[in-house]
Amino acid sequence: MRVLVVEDYPPLQRAVAKGLREAGFAVDATGDGEEGLWYATTNDYDVIVLDLMLPGLDGLAILKRLRSDGRPAHVLILTAKDTVADRVRGLDLGADDYLVKPFALEELLARVRALARRAYRAKNPCLEIGDLRIETTKQRVYRGRESVHLTPREYALLEYLAMRAGETVSRTDIWEHVYEFTSEADSNVVDVYIAYLRRKLERPGKPPLIHTVRGRGYSLGAAP
Amino acid sequence: MIGSLRSRLLLLTVAGMTLVLAVFALAMDAAVDRSLMGGFDAALDATARMLAAEVEQKDGKIEAGFGGEEVDMSAFNRPERPEYYELWDEDGQVLARSPSLGAGDLPRGAASLDTPAFEALALPDGRPGRSVTFVFQPKVEQEDRRSQSPVVAKRATLVVARETADIDAKRSAFRWLLGSAAAGTILLTLLVAALVVRQGLRPLDRLAAQIAAIREERLDTAIPPDGMPREMTPIVQRLNDLLRRLEEAFQRERAFTADAAHELRTPLAGIRATLEVALSRAREPEEYQGALRESVEIITHMQTIVSDLLMLARLEGGQVPLRPEPVPLRQEVERLWRPLAGQAEKRAVRFASNVPAGLTVAADRELLAMAVSNLLANAAEYTNDGGRIEISGRAAGGKIELAFSNTACCLSAEQAQHVFERFWRGDAARAAGVHCGLGLALVERAVAVLGGEATAAVSPDGVFTVRLVLPPASSQAPE
Repeated sequence: MRVLVVEDYPPLQRAVAKGLREAGFAVDATGDGEEGLWYATTNDYDVIVLDLMLPGLDGLAILKRLRSDGRPAHVLILTAKDTVADRVRGLDLGADDYLVKPFALEELLARVRALARRAYRAKNPCLEIGDLRIETTKQRVYRGRESVHLTPREYALLEYLAMRAGETVSRTDIWEHVYEFTSEADSNVVDVYIAYLRRKLERPGKPPLIHTVRGRGYSLGAAP
Repeated sequence: MIGSLRSRLLLLTVAGMTLVLAVFALAMDAAVDRSLMGGFDAALDATARMLAAEVEQKDGKIEAGFGGEEVDMSAFNRPERPEYYELWDEDGQVLARSPSLGAGDLPRGAASLDTPAFEALALPDGRPGRSVTFVFQPKVEQEDRRSQSPVVAKRATLVVARETADIDAKRSAFRWLLGSAAAGTILLTLLVAALVVRQGLRPLDRLAAQIAAIREERLDTAIPPDGMPREMTPIVQRLNDLLRRLEEAFQRERAFTADAAHELRTPLAGIRATLEVALSRAREPEEYQGALRESVEIITHMQTIVSDLLMLARLEGGQVPLRPEPVPLRQEVERLWRPLAGQAEKRAVRFASNVPAGLTVAADRELLAMAVSNLLANAAEYTNDGGRIEISGRAAGGKIELAFSNTACCLSAEQAQHVFERFWRGDAARAAGVHCGLGLALVERAVAVLGGEATAAVSPDGVFTVRLVLPPASSQAPE
């Protein structure tokens, strides 16, 4: 899940980005409105966390541009303005959710997760593919009754594949939605993590879950 | 006499009406009095002349022939409410008196020959009356005139008196009529005036109702001036002006409160998120330390905002006690630059103070120091590495001018007009995320409290200058 954070107060931007990363999201962050718009229009984000009072271009102007461009990203407005009129204006301009500062990190993460699920039309926080079960709120994974322990990156990869279960997901998609592209420039890292996942998830005697689609990518499902 | 406009108008109308009526009544009374008295006196005079015609001089003696048929003497003879007369010769000898007088005398008035004198008196029986004193030369008997010796015409004095009960009754009847007519008019005036005043003041009631309908949160509703009488249009206009100014002030206050909330909520969110992220899992001690350090920095920043807000509120509420003293500006600028100098040197910022020695202002030292150090910190913060800060001062036109300039300003001339607004900040400041936009607002308020003025400008080559104009020290202002 790829998230953009546009927040001009550096300590808050750092903390939110760190919190989201540790929750398994791929995060880009900026403090400038113009730069935020550039990020949002050149990348395919699942969720955008948007502050309203920004230098350069304010949050509502960014939102308006995104919606008039037909960008599907889900937008969570994050602001210190808490009047009903402010909220209504933001939601009317096409925001999906609204969070008033100061907020609990837990709540921000839950709301971002909910918006990310919506991005893949999944309302149920519990994803089930065959006997694989993923509890997205607690980030726990079970194969049958057996709990599977995954690192945050492995989990993020699995969750993304599960959100698009049945579809063929390209390496580029995975690279863009799961890993921060600034941190790892090598797309081989996707294959490496797919191998880690297979090692932890596949059970001898059971049908494989992760399938390689030659030349196109990977797909998660009970059958290829 | 303020009170109600209505009662005031009523009172004035009635008082004016009463005064006019009183003058009118007095004039009427005097005219009627004169006319009545004139008639009475003319009748009295005619009676006197008629009696006088019956007096003759015969053989040097004056004789009154009042008993004859020609004159009706019944009025002098009747026992009830009689009239009176008395006749004297030149020597004061009583020649005749009316029977009604008995042995009494009538007072003689100061009359001269042929000019009668009238006066009021109490008649011998006590009734009020009026008398005429008539001095005349009785006609001389014919045969007397034919004698050889020259005739000496003698004078006689006749006083006739008559009661005035008749005209007194007429006069009091007239006065009563006049009084009741006046009272009725005043009563009627009061009634009509009350109606007129009520009608006339109706627009005021309407205006009051319109004003009463204005709510604090809807100050932008102007009172429509149409339908108001012309005299009230200026009042309505002033009221609308006042409302507009109030609305502007309210809007500023609302914006300020919202901004203050925003400026405090954001760092608060920063602390909470930083600490919650730190607590979300087990970490290395260095990570905790980092989170705590960051939180302390944010709290320091918030503390600045809060104390700046408090200072601003105090300055605007006029709650800062001033102790003016002569402050030498050159030394003061150097003293306040010292804590900033180290950091500036590291960034190769050049600092030049061209404030002449001896330039002094009379100001509260603490408040002036706050303004100057804020300006110095602002200049140091926004100038580029290797940039230049210049402070200059001079005395001009009886005022002291102090200018703070720094290079590399990215504001437009239009934006420079906003720098003194609370919480306004340029994009550079926002991106840096440190400044909360109260520093220059504080400077502006502090300088205003000191009796001066602050202005800001940007030159085309990006030099930002804040100019302070301050009142000089009264004693030693260098010219």
